[in-house]
Amino acid sequence: MTDFAGVNFFADRAVQDDPYEYFDWVRAQGPVWQEPRYGVFMITGHPEAMEVYGDPATFPTNDTASGTFSSCNAVSGPFVKFSEPVEGDDISEVITKCRHELPFSDQLPSFDPPNHTDHRHLLMRLITPKRLKENESFMWEYADRLIDRFVDTGSCELVGDYAEPFTLTVIADLEGVPEADHSLFRQRLSTAHEKIDHKPLEFLYERFSEYIEDRRQTPRDDILSGLATATFPDGSMPEVTDAALIAANLFAGGQETTVRLLSFALRMLAERPDLQQLVRADRDRIPNFIEETLRIESPLRTQFRMARVRTKLGTVEVPAGGTVMLVPGACNRDPRVFDDPHEFDIERPNARQHVGFGHGIHTCAGAPLARAEGRVTVNQFLDRTSEITISEAEHGASDSRRYDYLPTFFLRGLRSLHLELTPAS
Amino acid sequence: MVLEVEIDREVCMGSGNCIYEAPGAFALDDDTIAFVADASAASEEKIIAAARKCPTHAITVRRDNETSP
Repeated sequence: MTDFAGVNFFADRAVQDDPYEYFDWVRAQGPVWQEPRYGVFMITGHPEAMEVYGDPATFPTNDTASGTFSSCNAVSGPFVKFSEPVEGDDISEVITKCRHELPFSDQLPSFDPPNHTDHRHLLMRLITPKRLKENESFMWEYADRLIDRFVDTGSCELVGDYAEPFTLTVIADLEGVPEADHSLFRQRLSTAHEKIDHKPLEFLYERFSEYIEDRRQTPRDDILSGLATATFPDGSMPEVTDAALIAANLFAGGQETTVRLLSFALRMLAERPDLQQLVRADRDRIPNFIEETLRIESPLRTQFRMARVRTKLGTVEVPAGGTVMLVPGACNRDPRVFDDPHEFDIERPNARQHVGFGHGIHTCAGAPLARAEGRVTVNQFLDRTSEITISEAEHGASDSRRYDYLPTFFLRGLRSLHLELTPAS
Repeated sequence: MVLEVEIDREVCMGSGNCIYEAPGAFALDDDTIAFVADASAASEEKIIAAARKCPTHAITVRRDNETSP
């Protein structure tokens, strides 16, 4: 067994490329374990993650400082510190005073109740399975059109040829973002991660504020109009910038992660002819196939919380101000919850208990959309081909595959996926 | 008193959180929208936890005609 004691989870490329043996080792140290390098409390156990995700549970009480954990650092992670000292057994005041200093502090995942509750309320009814079903025909059509572009050449690079344009155009269509702006957004978003700005999505907010203003004047049948006319739970109307922020978060948030989901789903079909045959013959298996894909390869690699007060997680003491790191990809392979956790089991009865979308009040708002995009994509690729395989020229023979993964600690995903396609006759 | 449990199916996002929190009490239909399967199948405590952790606040729990989770 490899010696994992010296691994730096945040920087080690070998562990980023193949994290699962390391995750098992960490869980063996304890499902809650303080890694020695930065003192971050890693959660690799499923029940322990559920406890953290489940806090705070606020409805209908909506107190300001409720709960043991704050989401103020949910996206920014462990490396940015408050300007004020963090001392004592309750740091609620410091969090309230300094949370705006953290990167991504203006995004919904970083909010706590009651601010979170108010803003999440604006999204109510807008992205539900019911609502998406009414808008699904565009997804089917657009998937078909994209596949048209490459299917007869017998190959594609899934990420660039399909997944990126598909996810961007689908959310743009749902929200009602004008087509003329799509290419600008594609350009700017692809470089947004490279620089850790205080507010890397500022350019999006400006454009989305214009959309919201426009929809307040002339509402249409799109999500932007829904957000433009939505009210807070107390009936008051949010500022334009508030609604624009949610719209922009939604637009940006779902793309990168869904691209990774789609590429893992297609890789699984291409790597496993037996599964591909099974799903081709019985399309009703697709929803659980998608859930199991999310379980075995969770695109969101880490999420963070900050202990507001001194607390105990499992048997581990966490001081106030301690950084807790949820690792969905590790929790989703916890053998206490998932039998034979490293096996992809298309019939796994509890596949949907994965925490790929989180759990509790911060559950990914775009989850129903990601699920629909996965279902439509898998269906359309199977419809338009008779066989999908991995390109051996690009990824090597089946016994020595090479895949290139994103070099970050917050996302798990393929940088590219080259497929060979036999068009359906 | 038995709790009266309702789900607003227009609001439900199909997260499945309620099924995890209160197994047996809730289920998802073919469109992945939740419904109350059997409110007596889970403890009151679990049903209230499901309501409080629902990301869209789609679950309402009543007792004696009062919303009081």
